[in-house]
Amino acid sequence: MATKAYDKSFREEVYQNVDSGEDVKLCMQCGVCGITCPLRGEMTHGPRQLWSLIRAGKREEVMNSPDIMLCTSCYSCKVRCPRGVKVIDVMHGLAHYALEQGIVPRKETAKFGKAFWDSIYKTGRVDETEVPMRYTMMAGPIHGIFNMLEMMDIGRALLAHKRMKFKIGPGLPPSKKIRGMKGLKKMLDKAKSMSPGKEG
Amino acid sequence: MGQSILVVGGGMSGVSAALEAAEAGYDVVLVEKNPYLGGRVAQLHQYFPKLCPPYCGLEINFKRIKSNPRIKLYTMSEVTGIQGEAGNYKVTINQQPRYVNERCTVCGKCGEAVEATIPNPFDYGLGEIKAAYLPHEMAYPYRYVIDPSIVETEDGTKAKEACPYDAVVLDDTAKEVTEEAGAIVWAAGWSPYDISKVEYYNFNSSPDIISNVQMERLAASGGPTGGKIVKLSNGEAPKKVAFIQCAGSRDVNHLPFCSTICCLASLKQATYVREQLKDAEVTIYFIDIRAMDRNEDFYTKVKADEKISFVKSKIGLIEPGENGMLVLEGENTTTGERFKAEHDLVVLATGMQPNTDLSKIPADMVYDEYGFVQAAEGIFGAGTVRRPGEVHVSVQDGTSAALKAIQVVAGR
Repeated sequence: MATKAYDKSFREEVYQNVDSGEDVKLCMQCGVCGITCPLRGEMTHGPRQLWSLIRAGKREEVMNSPDIMLCTSCYSCKVRCPRGVKVIDVMHGLAHYALEQGIVPRKETAKFGKAFWDSIYKTGRVDETEVPMRYTMMAGPIHGIFNMLEMMDIGRALLAHKRMKFKIGPGLPPSKKIRGMKGLKKMLDKAKSMSPGKEG
Repeated sequence: MGQSILVVGGGMSGVSAALEAAEAGYDVVLVEKNPYLGGRVAQLHQYFPKLCPPYCGLEINFKRIKSNPRIKLYTMSEVTGIQGEAGNYKVTINQQPRYVNERCTVCGKCGEAVEATIPNPFDYGLGEIKAAYLPHEMAYPYRYVIDPSIVETEDGTKAKEACPYDAVVLDDTAKEVTEEAGAIVWAAGWSPYDISKVEYYNFNSSPDIISNVQMERLAASGGPTGGKIVKLSNGEAPKKVAFIQCAGSRDVNHLPFCSTICCLASLKQATYVREQLKDAEVTIYFIDIRAMDRNEDFYTKVKADEKISFVKSKIGLIEPGENGMLVLEGENTTTGERFKAEHDLVVLATGMQPNTDLSKIPADMVYDEYGFVQAAEGIFGAGTVRRPGEVHVSVQDGTSAALKAIQVVAGR
């Protein structure tokens, strides 16, 4: 069966299932969002192109675009969009939707999300030493050490300014847990049951 | 005939409405804020699409006004109050002093005598003018104005002493007058949108970023450069000129509507550049080219010029670059590429903000969400206070408002 050049079903799906997905209809393709983005150098598509791809029914490109997980929620594009499109909401909505379907558009973000989550789940804190360590080590022990060596200057500066505590490795020594850890875990478990991405 | 018709605004719509009503036999009071008639049309270099100077048309209208005793003209005046109802209005008019009476022959001696200068309002502040001045070379009424800032200074005295006709009146004061009218035509016009509000265009960062209305003055022979299109930073001719469309228009954060004339204005101004500067390259950055009305042919004609290129992209950032260049960033929505482009003169195509959005009619009126006037009984909006539009539309609108006003006063 020949595939259709324009698959209408995907855009209908986005309008219905993605948070603020209907906003995509408002876009007039001016391109200001892509230029406003501080990460424009890192983006493969940028919001405008993603909206265009949604309209054209390019499911694979959209659901696998790392951009939907690269967005840092700085809100510049949302503030400047001449049509008032809630750009951030749609970006996050798309990431959410992809994860729901078992697609991880940007592995690094997912990994960082897991490190972040693990730290909170274990201790109730986002530990400035623990989170980056866990994140870098996810690349495997050897890559992890190389990654950490690359970041050494920043680490040293952070230590000097007491923005970070010294640790030999993740959990060595373990971070102090917050009080009321049980209550927090209950909340986090509930949040997890409501969220689609197991790691995101 | 009993009641008169009061027209507010002496621009294209107001002048048209006043003339149509007066020539149909009705008494007209015409109130204009500036010291001269003609409004923003008088500040244009050329009309699109014929590329002729607007002054030939204006001159004919001025001659019609001059020879029509039914028109009573107030310049430098604003309507501050409206009492009554359709068929019976009492209108308060506040007139600012001109400090020059009707004996003035435009000999220019006061201007020569005065030393102080003011930013020239007619050139949108691009140049300076003596504080005793003729608003522009074809001004109607053809009479000097003295800026209030020098009246009580030595310059004021110098102007008075220099005048051989005793036309300078330093003790002139603001006046409040009341006029009666059966109907009112509100044709207060528009203002270019304050482009410094679009902060990512950094309008105030370089004298080489100008607005489209300023470009008209740059190209006009009576303008600050005598009609030469130059970079105001160094007086040199630009080599790479950019026009940025929808600068502050079609944008929910600024003017949400399309002004309908900016695309054609930029196409027209591109021809000014190409006419004067044979080697200059012009790039027009746009979301959509909207050559409204019957003007698609003009777009096609301009597009045929190989030195004028069109890039489908709204520019998202203007920043000063090296060697006095300006760096424009955008996303070409045809190719999908994000780009940086260098230009040495950038013209921002700003839209039309209705003056009724900036200052309301002193009467119970209804406006739409953008500040445009809606139809009312007895007070009729005309021209760009009703909707954005080009000159001939404003003329038609003035005529139509005159007819509506006549229907109110006829037979009373």
